[in-house]
This record gives sequence, structure tokens and C-alpha cells, in this order.
Amino acid sequence: MYISINWIKDFVDLDGIDVEKLIYKFTMSTAEVEGIEKKGYDVNGVIAAQILSVENVENSKKLHKLMVDTGKEKIQVICGAPNVREGAKVVLATVGSTIAGQKIGKATLAGLESNGMCLSEKELGISDDHSGIMILDDDVKIGTDIKEIIPIEDVIYEVDNKSLTNRPDLWGHYGIAREIAAITGRKLKPLQVEDLRQYQKLEELSIGVAVEDDDNPLCLRYSSMRVENVTKKQSSWKMKVRLYYCGMRSINLLADMTNYIMMELGQPMHAFDNRIVDSVNVKTLPEATKFKTLDGQERVLDKGTLMIWHNDTPVGIAGIMGGLESEIKDDTTTLFLESANFDAVQIRKTASKLDLRTDAAAHYEKTLDPELTEIAIARFIKLLKEEDKDIRITSRFSDVYIKRYPHITIEIDKDYIDRSIGKVLSMDEVTTTLKNLEYNIKVKGKNITIDVPTFRATKDVSQKADIIEEIARIHGYDNITPESNLWKIAPVEKDPARELEYSAKELLATKYGASEIHSYVWYNTELNNELGIKVKDNLKIVNGIVRLDNTLRHEMAPTILYAIEKNMKYMNECKVFEIGRTFEYHFDGKEAEEYKVLGIGLASTSKSEKELVYTAKSMVDNIVGINKNINVSYSNIELVQNNWMHPVNSFSVKIDRQEIGYITVVHPKIKDRINPKSAMVIIELRMDILGEIAKNDIQYKEVSKYQTVNFDLSLIAKKDVKYAQIEEIIKNSKMEYLIDYNLMNIYENAEKLTGKKAVTVRFTIGSYTDTLTKEQIDSEREKVLNALKEKEIYIYE
Amino acid sequence: MEDKIKSLKEQAIKKLEEIKNAQDVENIRVEYLGKKGEVVEILKNLKNVEKEKRKEIGEKANVLREEIEKLIETKKEEIKEKEYEDKIKNAEKIDITVPVDENLGSLHPITIVQRELEDIFTSMGFTVEDGNEVETEYNNFEAVNVPHYHPARDMQDTFWLENGELLKTQTSAAQNKIMKKYGTPLKAIFPGRCFRNEALDASHENTFFQMEGMMIDENVSIANLIYFMKKLLSEVFKKEVEVRLRPGYFPFVEPGFELDIKCPYCNGVGCKVCKNGSWIELCPCGMIHPNVLRMGGIDPEKYSGFAFGLGLSRLAMMKYNINDLRVLNSCDLRALKQMKIK
Repeated sequence: MYISINWIKDFVDLDGIDVEKLIYKFTMSTAEVEGIEKKGYDVNGVIAAQILSVENVENSKKLHKLMVDTGKEKIQVICGAPNVREGAKVVLATVGSTIAGQKIGKATLAGLESNGMCLSEKELGISDDHSGIMILDDDVKIGTDIKEIIPIEDVIYEVDNKSLTNRPDLWGHYGIAREIAAITGRKLKPLQVEDLRQYQKLEELSIGVAVEDDDNPLCLRYSSMRVENVTKKQSSWKMKVRLYYCGMRSINLLADMTNYIMMELGQPMHAFDNRIVDSVNVKTLPEATKFKTLDGQERVLDKGTLMIWHNDTPVGIAGIMGGLESEIKDDTTTLFLESANFDAVQIRKTASKLDLRTDAAAHYEKTLDPELTEIAIARFIKLLKEEDKDIRITSRFSDVYIKRYPHITIEIDKDYIDRSIGKVLSMDEVTTTLKNLEYNIKVKGKNITIDVPTFRATKDVSQKADIIEEIARIHGYDNITPESNLWKIAPVEKDPARELEYSAKELLATKYGASEIHSYVWYNTELNNELGIKVKDNLKIVNGIVRLDNTLRHEMAPTILYAIEKNMKYMNECKVFEIGRTFEYHFDGKEAEEYKVLGIGLASTSKSEKELVYTAKSMVDNIVGINKNINVSYSNIELVQNNWMHPVNSFSVKIDRQEIGYITVVHPKIKDRINPKSAMVIIELRMDILGEIAKNDIQYKEVSKYQTVNFDLSLIAKKDVKYAQIEEIIKNSKMEYLIDYNLMNIYENAEKLTGKKAVTVRFTIGSYTDTLTKEQIDSEREKVLNALKEKEIYIYE
Repeated sequence: MEDKIKSLKEQAIKKLEEIKNAQDVENIRVEYLGKKGEVVEILKNLKNVEKEKRKEIGEKANVLREEIEKLIETKKEEIKEKEYEDKIKNAEKIDITVPVDENLGSLHPITIVQRELEDIFTSMGFTVEDGNEVETEYNNFEAVNVPHYHPARDMQDTFWLENGELLKTQTSAAQNKIMKKYGTPLKAIFPGRCFRNEALDASHENTFFQMEGMMIDENVSIANLIYFMKKLLSEVFKKEVEVRLRPGYFPFVEPGFELDIKCPYCNGVGCKVCKNGSWIELCPCGMIHPNVLRMGGIDPEKYSGFAFGLGLSRLAMMKYNINDLRVLNSCDLRALKQMKIK
């Protein structure tokens, strides 16, 4: 919203105040200012002048040779405007003057000398109109500086609309002026209005308001008056310039008047042509209806849209836009004035439904004070009389007031204010601020009773905290000294689940060189189709912008596959991971369950699937081992649940009997679509479950003081014997001095070892009380070999 | 005999001078001091020397043995030294400029920034909490005083789900649960992923990260909030920062503020980060609205507190000078690997 300082000056005396500093204070105390623009300061030496004669210029269709009287001299000016005429008073930029910061010099047009320039409104910078030159009133004295005739010098600042959403009172200059009065400590001048009581005896206009819901009426108030004999068509320069500077286009006097009042008081108004609308009804549409709004567009309105009707004809969409039929026309002299208050939510919904976010709608959305409708009419008539003194008021102030907001009184204690702000303010400062903001207050000792003015009481101010804000912001947050508070000290409990997450992430990044990614929590349907990934139906977003991607993920794997797909286009090896949320929904309307899952993806063009699976296993071992000191068990998954999982090489990850995730080679059908040259492995690990599992404290095991002995056994076993089986045999072999054993390697060779494999294990044995004798060592060896032999595992010769 | 001893010594010195390698030294040792070596022979043959000279000769022979031993040791050292010199001289020159595979992965920039902040907050006594991503309308809006008529509740800004829940639009959605869980006094932060139904561009994402914090106790004032935020942000930017508070409207706080910092990158002179504005709008904050406290089971007459939100995505972008928000969710390792792990 644009604010004109000239306009503000109508209501607050700003003499001696640095305007830029004031605007900074406004940002700091009221709302964010987005920009400041000085208007008219770049125009100098432009005067009113009179055309004495007009001659056509030979060989030119457009140009005229003018003799112009500047009051001091008569000069020749060549002008291309179509509306030049003898005797017209015009705006002249003489040689040496500046417009838009540019100096005007002598010019030669069509071989003729031009000693200045007659200006259009656009050239003077007061509108976009460039259709002709400006024609001033006949009573203007020639030679007068234009700035004495038209107030073109102004400072305009733009306030961020978003920062005003909760302040319906600030949607007009008068409300802004009230803030500025409080900020500067100056008095706000009372608004000059017409005394409407004088028309009390005139005819009452017929206004009907249908109330469908007593608690939430759609129309809170509808006020009206009839004005006749409006003959002037154009607004005054002052009004035009202010409207233009504040972002509005001047249309005609009546349209300008309604806009001017809206920008001054925040109250939208509408003027109907009284020939079409001389009484109104406010009620909703009983069925969907086509309606032509005054922008000339035909719109289909939903059933239930609140409308203004004349008899049985809708003539306007309440609070949003009037109808084309009933708008003010060139020959309209009598108008039926609307100043109403409509329910904010309903206006917003209708406006966004119709995609018709008019200024009026934007104002109503803020929940305006219904008291304003009357003030706006009184102000309208006062100003209209100044613009066109011949108007006649032919009705009384006619008013249907459906809903008043409750009167709000707040009791507050001065100590409470000081405590909340953290600074002791004087009682005088507190009461002055509140009075300047037009709160009615009564002070009794330290207690202040505050009557909230109606224009703040629609939603903005209702309790003590709101009053604290008023006092603190006008005092200036910058003027509050930062102060610590002796808060109770207590140790911070660290969340082990969070520690686990960070620890896992760091391990994956530092030990395994994997990279953390962030993705979206919904599936990419298009990519799923492209890669052949089938996902379980799951909870859906009902209003996503991209309709296709509305299913929330039930698994992390597809997300990880997308990342592999993306990165393997330009990498030979890629390791990615993310700890993300997955969701489970049972299609019962109940709340969804949410899980925290670590997804890891490994892809490589040089490594085998087996190598990647073992890397994956190492990752899981370490994540669980380091954080929980717990052993993980792995087993083949018999029946895979998802189509990206390998039917043979997919492995369930368990702690005790609890399943916490899986490792899988990516199904070749999907893998080939992503990148046929590479091997791919996916891990999913439920971090939420893992987080709940208690940590095993590490117990120190004494190191033997005596020498330990290592020996390797190369064993030959059937190919399908798993290492875990060999381990099982070793553990049960009743070796007395076994300290440790490690797999050295597994050798497979289809030619040399048909159907078999060689497994080399290194044993470490030792005693805590003695050095082992050769006999003891041999006996240990015997024990394990015998145990293995029973299961048809032999020493490899 | 004495002459022999003398000549043996001279001989040995001469031979040792000429030799170049360790093996020759060994040969000489054997030649003189070995079991059948010349010096040993003398000692062995002492019995054949006349009695009166035996002692003298014996002593001289022993001296000779010690001298030759010494000479040999010195020679050995010399040769060893020479060998090292040669080894060093002939060592392969390693090209240190050859790139190596450090096998370091990367953490997501959000994780890095989030962790930094969590460390700062925990050092200031804050508990770190987690929230859900799918939330109820109550927690996301109602409980943080976003009224029914507020535009934020309109369809277009929020991802609504078919079961009536939504993807949380703000970390504030966790406020109510946290207040109920901990009661007072309360110091907690809760980072999390948030969602808005928006079209993507360089500065708009539908998925982004915030970190919110709240602090509730008796007599918490605006002055306390300013103090705390100033300390906190100085810690975040690792230097004293200038802050300013101006009014801002957020339904869950009253009064509400927009907190700006004097650009820490250019000290307010004007740069790319602050878009020559010198102040950066960084953090919405405010005194927790009495209605929010009440709904969280906390008596606003007795307790007050403040809440603040930090845009993690924004801070990450500032830290690494990332100019396009979409990079963060791109999964593109060419971009993300640059952030390493700190």
C-alpha cells in the first residue's frame, strides 16, 4: 500500500519532522516499509501559460505552431498535441526548466524554433495520460509555478501489505496518520465530516438484508444515502494526483471519490446509478448464475454467493465488484451510495474462487470495523461537496446494522507492563501512547482500564499481550536494553535417537564416502513408471500442484533409486543416503503413522553386487555396532515384498527377533533401466526402532599376559555351506583356549573345486594362566577339525 | 713379534681404507679377529713366546684387537652412513600434486547447519525435540492460534491429505505437544522439515527446513528476548551482530517481531547477501501468545515466554553462498559433495 505524506499532513502536523527518519520509525514501530519515492521534486520552473494563437505547421499533420503567453513574454512553441486551442491555459516547461530531472532546452521541430514544451499529465508525472496536453482551469493566473496550482511534490512510501494483515485500521491514510501521531507524539486532527443529522427528516432508503446465520451474518452492516445533481465529471487535481501517486487511476469524479474514501479511511464504497438501483437487498444466490461485472467480464457465480440485488436482479457481488448494468455512466447525476460491511472470510473465499482480488475485497478480508460505514458516508459527502458544490442530498442516512462487535475492556497493571517489556516506563509515557492511539483509558493507582476503540476491536486487540505490544512498539524495541534473566540451570538431556542419527550420518560420510541427500516425501510417479518401480498405494495429498505426485512415500527405496538414477548419469560410483520419514496409512480416515528410515543406495560400474552387499553389511554392522554395541543378524528374505528387491539376494536385518530393515541387490529389471552397466544395492533401516533399542555397555575383557598362538585352517566345504554354519561349528567345538577367529578368505573356482569352496579361517588361541604347550595347541586344532569333519568340512590339502 | 703386531695394525688400517662395502668389512674382521684370524692367532700362540715377554706381547695383542675392532666399527658406521646417503639420493621423488582419493562423502548442508545450531542451543541449556511431518490441523493451526479465518488455512498454501491431516507448514506445529510434554520452565528447539504448496523457483521450495525454539519461565520479558537473540545470533555468525526488532504479525506470538540483523558479511555496507539493504530479515519471533500457552496447559498469568523461528534452508544458503534454493533438494552430488562434512 502506498502512503502519501501530503495526505498524512491533512491529519497530523509534520512541521519540523525529518520525513525519512519518520518513515524509518514507522518501520520500527508499525509495519515494514518497502520503499520511499519522492514525487515532483524533479520538476522545476514549470508554469501555467496561455495559448494565444494556433497555426498549423506546413507539411505536418500533427504539429502546431503556438504563441504562448508566459506572463512575462510571448514565445513560440511547437506542439504535437491534438487538443491545442486558442485561449487555453496550459502547463508549460520553459527553456531552462526541468521535468523528470531533464533540463528543457530550445528545440527545432520541422525547422521551427520551439522555446518550451506544453506538458501532458504523463510528462508532468501525475498520470499515465498522454493523449493530449493538460488544460488548466480558466481562472488560473498565468506565470504561476505549477506547484502552486497542483500539489505535485510529495513523498510516497510503500508499506508491505503482508505486514498489515492483522491491522484493518491501517488500510487507509487516516489510520496510518493515527500511528504517525503516536510515533511523533503529535495530535491527530479530527476527521472533517458532514453532519448527517441534518438529513434525518429526509426519505429513508429501502435496504433489505437477509440474515441466514445469526451468529455469523455475511453482511454485518449496510448503510446508504442518495445524492442528486452531481454534474462535475472530473476530480480536482489534488485528488487525481493523490490517487495516482498511491497507485490508482483517475476515472471520473464519482469513481475517484469512492476510491479516495477507501484509501483515506479503508472503507470500500460503491456508487450505483440511482436510475437502475434505488433500493437494495442483500442476500445469497439461490443457484449458480451468470453475472457481468463492471470490468465487462461475464462470470459464473456459485450458488450461495452473497449479492446486492435490486428487486429480483443481482446488481453487484457484495464487497468485491459491482455489476456492469448499474455502474455510473456519463449522464448519471443521481447516485445510490453503498457503504457496507461484509464478513471477511466469505469475501476472501468468493474473491479467490472468482480470482477477482479487487481492492475492495482486499480491504474487507482484513475484518473492517462496521462503525466505519457511517463515517465513510459522512466524509464522502463532505468531500463531494468540496468537489462539486451543487450536489443535493435527498435521503436520510439509511442504515441496517446487523452485527456489532462486542465492546472490549482490558484491565492492566503498570507493573505487569514493565515486567513484560523488561523495562520500567513512566506512567505518563504509557498513558500518552494509549491516548494517542485513541484508546479510552482510566487510571487508578497502578491499574489502567482500557477501552479498545472499535477500529481495533474486530480481531486485533483483545487482551493484555496486545496492549504490551502497543506500548513497547511505540516506545521502540531499539530503546529496550537487552537483559539476561537468571534462568534455572539444569543439565540438558541429550536425545539418544538424535545422537544415533548424527553418528550414523557421520560414519557413512567419513568411513564409506557416502553423501547425504534430501528428497521429497512423495513419490515421483512419472519416474516410478519410467523405471518400473511399483509402490504400495498410500496416503495422498489432495491439493498438490503436481497432480501426479500426490502419494506419500511408504518406503525410502524409490527415493534412493531416483537419486542413483540422477547421479549415475555422470558418475561411475555413487553412494547416497538419507534419513527420512515414511508413512503408513490404512485407508480408514485415521491419523497416519510416521516412521524414520535410513535409506542408503550404492551403485558402481566397477564393483560386483557381492562387493556392494558386503559394503552394505559393513555399514549396518557399524551403525548398530558403534552406537548400540549389539550384534545384527542377517537372513535371506524368502518372499520379497517390493519389486525393486532381488528375489535371491535380499536380506533381512534383525536385532534379536526384531526386524529393523533390509539389504537388497536391486532387481535387474529395474537396475537395467537405471543403468545396465552397474551393480546396485539398497539398504533401508528403521532408525526409529533402532533408536529405541537399549545400548549394550562395552565390558572390558582382560588381555592375556601369556603369548597367544595363531594358526590358519584352510577348509573345504560344499558350495552352499554358509559361513555362519562354519562359525556355528567353531563355537560349538568345545575348544578350550579359543580367543578369536577370523575369516581370511573364501576361494571359489569352478574348475578346480567343482561344487565346493575353500574357506580359510585364522584362529587365535591362548590361555590366561599359562603359555600353551605344543600338545595343548595340537589338541585345540584337533577339536575344531573333528567338529568340522562331522559336518563334512575337511582340511584343504 | 712386536714388529708383527705393528705391521698387522698398519696392514689393517690400509685394508680398511680401501674397502667399500659391508661384506669386505666382515671379511677383514674374520681375517684379523675371527677364530683363525691373525690377531687371535697371536693370542693363541702366546704360549710359544718366551716367558718374560709373554705378558707384554699379550697386552699389546689385546690392544691391537681392540684397536682393530674400533676401526672396523667406525668403518661399518661409515659405510652404513654412505648407504643411507645413497638411498636418499636415489629415492623416488613423489609427486605430491597428484590428486588422491580421500574417500570422503558429504553431509547435507542442512544437517551441518542444523547440527551447529543444535550445539549452540544445547550449550545454552535447550533440549532438542523432534516433530512429525504429517500433522493434525489442530497442532499445525488451532493450537498455535491461527484462527479459522486466517488465509494460511486456505487450501492453496497447505498440502492437505486425504485423511484430513496435513504436511506441517511450520515447525510451530510441535509447540503444543512440547509444552504438554515438558511443562515449565521450558527451553526447547525443534528443527524440522516443512511443506508449502508452492511452485518451485530459485527462492521458493515446497519442502524446506526450519528450526523453532521456545523458552518459557516466570517473568520472561521482551528485553530477555532481545538479549537472548543477540547472543544466539552472535554465536551463529561467530561474531558480535547488531540486531533490530520491528513489529511483525504471526498469530502465535503477541507482540510479534521481525528480527533483522546488520548484514554480518559486509557489516551493513551492502553486499550480495543483504541485497544492498544492509539489514537482513532473519527471524520471526515474539512473546508467546497467551492463547498458545493456555492451549499448551500453561498459565499465561504466571508464565511468559518467547518463541523464534530460524530458516535452516536460508542459513545454509547464506553459509555456503548457494543462490538457488532448489539445490538443497536436488540430490545432485555434483552440488552436494562440495559441502563435505563441516
